[in-house]
Amino acid sequence: MAKQYDVLFRLLLIGDSGVGKTCLLCRFTDNEFHPSHISTIGVDFKMKTIDVDGIKVRIQIWDTAGQERYQTITKQYYRRAQGIFLVYDITSERSYQHIMKWASDVDEYAPDGVQKILIGNKADEEHKRQVGKHQGMKLAEEYGMDFYETSACTNYNIKESFTRLTELVLMAHRKELDGLRLASNDELNLAELEEDGRKADGTANSKSCWC
Amino acid sequence: MTSDTGRKQFWKRSVAKVPGSIQHVYGAQHPPFDPLLHGTLSKTVQKTQTTPVKLKKVTTFQEFESNTSDAWDVGEDDDELLAMAAENLNTEVVMETANKVIENHTKLQEQNKFQETQQVEDQSVKLEELPSFISSDSKIVKSASESQIPNPAGERHSLQRQQSVPHQASAALMGKSSEQISLNTTGLSEREAFRLEKFRQLLSGPNTDLDELRKLSWSGTPKPVRSITWKLLSGYLPANVERRDGTLKRKQKEYFAFIEQYYNSRNDEANQSTYRQIQIDIPRMSPETLILQPVVTEIFERILFIWAIRHPASGYVQGINDLVTPFFVVFIGDYVAEEEEVENVDVSSLPEEVLRNIEADSFWCMSKLLDGIQDNYTFAQPGIQKKVKMLEELVSRIDVLIFSVAFLIWKMASKFEIN
Repeated sequence: MAKQYDVLFRLLLIGDSGVGKTCLLCRFTDNEFHPSHISTIGVDFKMKTIDVDGIKVRIQIWDTAGQERYQTITKQYYRRAQGIFLVYDITSERSYQHIMKWASDVDEYAPDGVQKILIGNKADEEHKRQVGKHQGMKLAEEYGMDFYETSACTNYNIKESFTRLTELVLMAHRKELDGLRLASNDELNLAELEEDGRKADGTANSKSCWC
Repeated sequence: MTSDTGRKQFWKRSVAKVPGSIQHVYGAQHPPFDPLLHGTLSKTVQKTQTTPVKLKKVTTFQEFESNTSDAWDVGEDDDELLAMAAENLNTEVVMETANKVIENHTKLQEQNKFQETQQVEDQSVKLEELPSFISSDSKIVKSASESQIPNPAGERHSLQRQQSVPHQASAALMGKSSEQISLNTTGLSEREAFRLEKFRQLLSGPNTDLDELRKLSWSGTPKPVRSITWKLLSGYLPANVERRDGTLKRKQKEYFAFIEQYYNSRNDEANQSTYRQIQIDIPRMSPETLILQPVVTEIFERILFIWAIRHPASGYVQGINDLVTPFFVVFIGDYVAEEEEVENVDVSSLPEEVLRNIEADSFWCMSKLLDGIQDNYTFAQPGIQKKVKMLEELVSRIDVLIFSVAFLIWKMASKFEIN
């Protein structure tokens, strides 16, 4: 049986309530779209393995609740992320304005060197647009991020944006990856490399979980 | 982990769904095959092999476990956060705020002449009848274990022999006609009919024994008595039968007075974010066919907004909305034919007075429920943090349990169905 993946890391979705974070995730991992999704309570996650330049990358994507009250909980996840999507809704000026706040939270709580991209979701709802594409691009430029307008509904730019962030994270960890290419039999777990490298000892997997 | 058989029982379903062709090779998968978790597999393989099982797309526990076991690691600073949460939430401040709101409100109520002598009485009822099954964890355990101990006084047996209460009496309790009730009773199994009868006896009073009712409810509440049972156990309805009607009327008035007083302020700047969040969340609730009916959406908006405005320490928090639904659905159920799904009811076809009752009842029952878990929703959510911590501790002791709990939560969250 082939190895399931070469490298594992975590991405995080943040942004105001109702901008479509969960929908982006469902479209990407399951290729499904539900126009009305239950609101995310606390955090949730999904996983997918994608191939980037011949490397099998297993990504855990953490989805967060947008409402402010949950931020004590959601902020605990910033620290463990290697890549972050900052998501706004092109039909909501307000959600765009709030990107500033989300970005400063990232500065405060995420590790240095975390990769970020800006997402303007609901691009299919052109008739309700409140935030111009140029505004998104401008903001992204200010923060030095890549920018994508996406639509989970029409599956526009979903794969592209997820792949892009994945690539960015891979590039940022080139050093470790070169090591991987040399000794390609081992799995590389970025998530664990960056923490205390606690690997399963083989007989029982004793990791804890609380979703 | 020694209780191999117990686990086998517990995961029987998913084991059966694993086709016999799967042969685990250690090291061939990530995370590594865990013999502890798959301990029962090899025994079942031989049995299932003869009948080839089609690999249906079911989410089994094994699948879940292998998909997620690399998802977590232990965070070292959770303690810090917990401490922060505890610090930031000063219970006294919260209580004080809450009391102030209630006080102000009570004054206003008195001016409006909605409150009379009942007030005092109501407070004493509150003290006596706080719903322990909702508000206190330790009592859950207690009553669950108690219910398994045979009653030494033989009280239950004598109860069984007692003459059944005439249908009319219990029917009147629920505001239903007796024909409706007896109609609902037909087609029940003997055991169900017997349980229903026990409920009716308890409910008929003159004072319902709430402890007994709670015990009886542990294995489920029969539909015909569900709504009144929930109202009693949540502490909304008084145990005394004679006082129930009056309480309901008064509480309904009180609720609609809140609406008059506060609801216009939903677009005020101070309340905008609350109301907006409610409006974002309601259309995302399930069951859609019910919630998306304009009349239902409006009811939910009012209930949630009023609750939020009267609980400033918490305000509206995502997830609270889902606590209204069970009450609403059960209370609507009183006015829906047995075979009809509540989700398909045209709510606007119900009489206005009925809807007002349902709305007020849903509001009060939800309020009672939230009274016991408010720290899940206050700043930094200390209630949740504590529970997560407790779960973590538990999990560190019993490794297998962790996955089953996670699995169940995950299953429930991803497939929340109202029934």
